[in-house]
Amino acid sequence: MNNATKKWVLLKISTFILIPLMTWFIINLVNIYDEEYVEVLKFFSGQPSKFFVSALLIIAFLHSALSINEIFEDYIHDKKIKNVANKTLKLFATIIPLITIVIIFNLSI
Amino acid sequence: MENKNPLSPHIQIYRWHISSLISISHRITGIVNIIALIFICFWIALLLLGEQNYEYINFFFQSFFGKFLILGLTWSYSFQILSEIRHLIWDFGFGYDLNVTKISGLIVILGSFLLTILIFLLGKQFI
Repeated sequence: MNNATKKWVLLKISTFILIPLMTWFIINLVNIYDEEYVEVLKFFSGQPSKFFVSALLIIAFLHSALSINEIFEDYIHDKKIKNVANKTLKLFATIIPLITIVIIFNLSI
Repeated sequence: MENKNPLSPHIQIYRWHISSLISISHRITGIVNIIALIFICFWIALLLLGEQNYEYINFFFQSFFGKFLILGLTWSYSFQILSEIRHLIWDFGFGYDLNVTKISGLIVILGSFLLTILIFLLGKQFI
């Protein structure tokens, strides 16, 4: 399996997992966004939210990195700029969910 | 070695069709959604700062702009969900007929508004 095929398969698997996760999250977001601090904290620090939000972050950032990489391939002509853009993208797609998951697992009421 | 891959044509030279509208909207909503997710990460991090500091963000979310932002995000996520389902159906080899792509495109556009309403009703526990 070449790299492009691997990327495509990964993109499709992540889409399959993301559709129910995103639906679950957006319904809960509408439910809690204007609630008081304690209610929002209760949501993010409790189960199954901790697990599902962590999974959503990992898969959503992976999916986005793969998708944005495709946009870079389509529209960035310069190879050096494309490389820097891809590396920066990978870095952000790893660090942001990682830090947030650590925060989620440190939240408590 | 020079990359000989063809580049996508620039969007300003396209004659707009439903398919191209859905395609570019899919990319735009994808970018909006990931930016929103980054802000959601900051929102979660703000919880660490305690109840007093959270009042500012709560004030914003209770304002008209906060509610409009969440409504817009719900539409953006709804659009992305339906458009991804359309892509998955294509990946299974269905829906390539020109008329079917037009109909499925319209379903994505109209369905995204209906799904937004449904998500709001479910989220606010009206149903």
